[in-house]
Amino acid sequence: MRFLVQPSPAVLDRARPPVRAFLAFAVLLLVGWIASRAAHGALTPEGLSRILEPLPGERFGPVALWEEVHQGAFLYGFLLLTVGSLLVVCPVSPGVRNGLLAVATAAALVDLLAPFLPVAWPGFPGWAPLRIGAFGLAMAALLAAVVLAWVTFGREPRRTDG
Amino acid sequence: MVDPRMARFSLPVAAFATMVALVMATGAVLFARKIGFDGGHVRAFFLGSEAGFAPPRSLAGLLEVAVPHLLAVPLLLLVTLHLVAFAFGARRRPFSLLAGITWGCAAAGIGAGFAIRFAWPWLAPIKVAAFVGFQATMLAWLLLLVAALLPASGRDPRPGFTGTADAPPRAAR
Repeated sequence: MRFLVQPSPAVLDRARPPVRAFLAFAVLLLVGWIASRAAHGALTPEGLSRILEPLPGERFGPVALWEEVHQGAFLYGFLLLTVGSLLVVCPVSPGVRNGLLAVATAAALVDLLAPFLPVAWPGFPGWAPLRIGAFGLAMAALLAAVVLAWVTFGREPRRTDG
Repeated sequence: MVDPRMARFSLPVAAFATMVALVMATGAVLFARKIGFDGGHVRAFFLGSEAGFAPPRSLAGLLEVAVPHLLAVPLLLLVTLHLVAFAFGARRRPFSLLAGITWGCAAAGIGAGFAIRFAWPWLAPIKVAAFVGFQATMLAWLLLLVAALLPASGRDPRPGFTGTADAPPRAAR
């Protein structure tokens, strides 16, 4: 936490190796998450419908859906907090940083909540492609944020005064 | 009252608070659907039920749920409490009291399942009370976290605090 609130060059130098190692693991987590969904067939609309669409009479949707959102929100929450907080002390323009985080958060929420559309409105069309697209966007934004933090963490801000 | 340095972290902290709220909400639904909020349902879940053709929970099954929670819950609490303490420079006694209740409920909630199954089934209400206590105190922590993100107009900086939203303090407290 100290290097986040008091980012002096000496502190940042010491923090860089463990931060970069953490970010490398974050990339592995994101790649693993994509692979896991692909292995479960959750990256095709048909596969997703088979796993998460409510059966007739299942008023609140399958338990598997609630479990997936429970775990997914935990992962997204920690990734957004850690990567977002690291970007705060990186020499990255606030617009780029906030844009990446906002896109990742919005896409993550759509990814997590889209499967509830057919629970609330049975037969809701297009929820599966929406979820797959949102997951892709969330992963792309998070990967971009992680790579940006990896490249820029601990660097001196670029001078703009000539 | 809120540390001005919090402003720089408002977006990642807001995203974190939103996701934790989702984790808590889905946790409540899962508890209601899988276990239930009365002693009879809790006992039936852990000890099995002839009427429901449900076998008793095995040690392996209990551990499968408990082990990830033994990592996730303390991590979640550590980060959330750390953020609230950082944002508000929390007063020691009220902070410790609420934190103690939350940690206690978390430990009781995870441990009660084993106790009900292998020691004393009549501890079922403790499982429910621990879960409700955990959810209620986590809601309080999340509200505090959200309060720390609200615009700072009209707030006085903490006494002795020299930092700003953009710059570190000149001297550590």
